[in-house]
Amino acid sequence: MAQDDVAMGIDLGTSYSCVSLMIDGKPTVIPNEWGDRTHASVVSFLEDGSVLVGNAAKKSIITNAESTVYSAKRLIGRFFFSDEVKKAQSMMPYQIVEGPNNSVRIRVANQDFSLPEISALVLREMKAIVENYLGREVTKAVVTVPAYFNDNQRQATKDAGRIAGLDILRIVNEPTAAALAYGFGRDVSQKIVVYDLGGGTFDVSILEIGRDVFEVLSTAGDTYLGGDDFDDRIMQWLADDFQAKYNLDLRQNKYCLQLLKEASERAKIEVGRDGVAKIWAEGVCQDAEGRVLNLEQTLSAEQFNRMVMDFVQRTFKVCDEALQSARLTASDIDAVVLVGGPTRLPIIKNSVKHYFQKEPTVGIDPDEVVAMGASIQAHALLDTSAQNTLLDVTPLTLRIGTVGGYTEKIIDKNTPIPIEKSKTFTTSRDGQERVRIKVYQGEDNRSEGCELLGEFEFSGFKIGYRGDVKIEVTFEIDGNGIVNVAATDVDTGQKTSTTITLSSGLTEADIEASRERNAQTNVTDNAA
Amino acid sequence: MDPSFEIETEALSQILDQLDYFQILKLPTSANPADIKAAFYRESRLYHPDRHNALPECAFKEQAAKIYKRVTEAYVTLRDDRRRRKYLADIGGPEREKKLRFTEESEQEAKAAKKKELEEQIGQTPKGRQLYQQAMRDLDGKRPEAAVRNLKLALTFEPSNERFKEKLALAEKLLPKQEFKVGH
Repeated sequence: MAQDDVAMGIDLGTSYSCVSLMIDGKPTVIPNEWGDRTHASVVSFLEDGSVLVGNAAKKSIITNAESTVYSAKRLIGRFFFSDEVKKAQSMMPYQIVEGPNNSVRIRVANQDFSLPEISALVLREMKAIVENYLGREVTKAVVTVPAYFNDNQRQATKDAGRIAGLDILRIVNEPTAAALAYGFGRDVSQKIVVYDLGGGTFDVSILEIGRDVFEVLSTAGDTYLGGDDFDDRIMQWLADDFQAKYNLDLRQNKYCLQLLKEASERAKIEVGRDGVAKIWAEGVCQDAEGRVLNLEQTLSAEQFNRMVMDFVQRTFKVCDEALQSARLTASDIDAVVLVGGPTRLPIIKNSVKHYFQKEPTVGIDPDEVVAMGASIQAHALLDTSAQNTLLDVTPLTLRIGTVGGYTEKIIDKNTPIPIEKSKTFTTSRDGQERVRIKVYQGEDNRSEGCELLGEFEFSGFKIGYRGDVKIEVTFEIDGNGIVNVAATDVDTGQKTSTTITLSSGLTEADIEASRERNAQTNVTDNAA
Repeated sequence: MDPSFEIETEALSQILDQLDYFQILKLPTSANPADIKAAFYRESRLYHPDRHNALPECAFKEQAAKIYKRVTEAYVTLRDDRRRRKYLADIGGPEREKKLRFTEESEQEAKAAKKKELEEQIGQTPKGRQLYQQAMRDLDGKRPEAAVRNLKLALTFEPSNERFKEKLALAEKLLPKQEFKVGH
């Protein structure tokens, strides 16, 4: 590799992002010029057309609520009609509108932005932090995603990287990256579990790690479960309590809702650290007579634990599933690695310890470990003599739609990637010119219970009697966990043309246009 | 890059479709699960695309990627007892060369195949069915010319009916030999 060739590892989180580089053979988190090592994944559009990103932008959620976008990762790669989008519409102060092909757009000051465009602004900030640190341009990067992300979400994340002007070497799963950082320089042979509870998603991966090979045995997750949901519970409790006292619903006003949300997040951290949280928000609203009301409450650890217990139990259902897929039991696990801010909470630590009958590994920063692992992999991808080999799996079963709303399995979940599988289709009518296939990911044999990846239409094959024309369709899942579909005419060996007629993704032209708009936007992490 | 490895990779990528999964993982059919995993790791070190990411686009990179996808395919089939048993039976039986890549016949497919077979036996269209039945009577009555004519007509209604095609071939053999006599 070229002497000066470097690539960064970026953990693009729901709440916070982090960037790391290999320096002198060690994964090193790069701070911004204010010394921050993690950066709020928040984008605030200012009146002068410039954009504020990071921790300074987070402060704008209250003052500039309608033009400040956060938790974009919860929406990336989702269809407009999905439950997550509906939920966000009722919760978020920014405007969420429908774009072409059932996609989602964020509307700020009459301008529509795709989710990859929003995430691209965060990625550009990470790129700027590295470039500022090294004093030169760096374009290569590994970006991490939750292991349980589907193809649409991975594709959208990759698009975000391209819009940000990054050359994405690889999309790596967050728990896998964490395992890499854990195993780095340890020279152990172990079966480990990575319990990754982030701001918006939960993943668990089981790996077998050796001297030079890291094999993911199974992964399972829930992309609707994270620390945000814990905040939400505190928030509902506070709002109910306030309503009982003053007969005012703070949830009805987006400004009050934000104050409530901030107070809840602070309370969660405080109760985790100190065992009790004093909640105090001055002047949260005014009553009908114009009196200014304050929000005041005390949250005990016991209360908090009761509030979130069902979420905690849900994570262990996911652990059960991962162990079962790996054909292991909790007692086979040699080490437990905790990832994500919420794993600092005693309720999580204690429950994990109880479930795996093992003290979680200490000395790993749950906020930084993913970015560190990503930088190890980024470095390895530039180096032909690198010794680490990462063997990952696809988290979801790949399916095609069949008659009557059913689906048929093509590639099972937890299958090592890259892999491909072919299936032969025949025409069902004489003179048929096109064959259409709907591709899904999910664990339900009914299509409505799965995520639609797209509808593929094949044409340009030989025309013949029904049943006489055979089209071989190859489904490939690449090393990024991204699905590619191609088809050939079996008799002629001719590749047929493929068009995607239903997809939430961006077109090449969209990406190019976004890239230009993005490059012209002035991005800063300094509010001053 | 070791030039002999490059040559080996090119050769292997060309004969991939002639190899069974044991040959791809360089294992005897008696290999145990630990052998299979060790072989998967060994081949991963050689062919996993991440290992060659830093190389510029070239034929070798494509060949290695192609081989590696087959390596994972071999591994997922052989590490699963049930699949491995079916696969061993497949490659040990007739039509081995068609079964080198594992296929799991789904329940739906099996059902559809059975239904199709049944339908073909009697014909899928009213006209086809009628003509086919007439042709069968013609064959029984030793009237091969009539049988051929009726089967050809039946095939215009059901051009892809394998059963009709089979019977037509049979009837054609029964036709009185003309100029071209095929000796034994």
